[in-house]
Amino acid sequence: MSCNKPDQSFRSGSLPGAFAPLAMAYVPMQVSAAPNYDAPEALARGTLFPGLDLPFMNIVNEKAPDVPTAELMAIDFVVDELELYLDTHSEDQEAFDLYQSFLALRMEARERYTGRFGPITQCDQLGSESYAWLKDPWPWEFLNRRER
Amino acid sequence: MFVYEKKLQYPVRIRNTNPALAKFIISQYGGPDGELGASLRYLSQRYAMPYPELKGLLTDIGTEELGHLEMIGAIVHQLTRDLSVDEIKKAGFDAYFVDHTAGVYPTAASGFPWSAASMAVKGDVIADLSEDLAAEQKARVTYDNILRLSDDPDVNNVIRYLREREVVHYQRFGEALRLAAEKMNERNVYAVNPAFDN
Repeated sequence: MSCNKPDQSFRSGSLPGAFAPLAMAYVPMQVSAAPNYDAPEALARGTLFPGLDLPFMNIVNEKAPDVPTAELMAIDFVVDELELYLDTHSEDQEAFDLYQSFLALRMEARERYTGRFGPITQCDQLGSESYAWLKDPWPWEFLNRRER
Repeated sequence: MFVYEKKLQYPVRIRNTNPALAKFIISQYGGPDGELGASLRYLSQRYAMPYPELKGLLTDIGTEELGHLEMIGAIVHQLTRDLSVDEIKKAGFDAYFVDHTAGVYPTAASGFPWSAASMAVKGDVIADLSEDLAAEQKARVTYDNILRLSDDPDVNNVIRYLREREVVHYQRFGEALRLAAEKMNERNVYAVNPAFDN
């Protein structure tokens, strides 16, 4: 066996043999975007994918705090999570179909939220009667003690 | 460009103030493995990346980290709102208070202000992605340590979420490294730097 022979085993990620292809950090590819949590559970867990859900000391969040944005946050979170997955799995048609379905849900959830609570982005004010962007509370505020 | 969304990625509702807790959680705002460094690291590394998967992933994770920076800022802000001078003294928050009052300033828990020296942009695909893998693990450990030190359930709920995001990002950076290596010369990926040699 010649050491000059190119070792194609790198592509499949095998560990170094007699003639190691090269030294590099190895992380196995996630095989599929399924199975996955539903949107509220995904948000609470911090991932859409049970296979990547590895909590510290096995303590998990039962649910995310209940806020007016919770429904929208959960759907947006699944969209964000699928985008990162698709960045490294752009050929995964099933994941892309799931992404499409969540984009549609996101549009509906956005309209519901902005209709009730005001704009998420400045441009959501199209057709608004007045400049609602400045309305409190801002995302970092939680006025528990002195509710205004 | 960036467009602001007037919501957090995950809700932050801290019912009880606790400046002693804010003193070390601020490290994920401006500390060596915090969210400011994370977002700047990824958003700055993008420019030298030769492959679309890497440009996309660094843009998307870098953007998400900016959202995490905002969440950490929200935690620190809510832990330190409406404080009395007595509470500040008792919690040992006085050293921070004298410089920043109850403003949110990017600093490490040890008092060192945020420094670009805590991140790297090497302009090389393998070096930068390897840095990113290490960075995600260091951030994960910092969140582990916060969970060891904090007994506030409202804070820990958010920290557990942020910690899990580091686990997911590590996976994606690992996958990106494999995709990059496959695109490079399979006999010797160290022969050239595709971010520089054309």
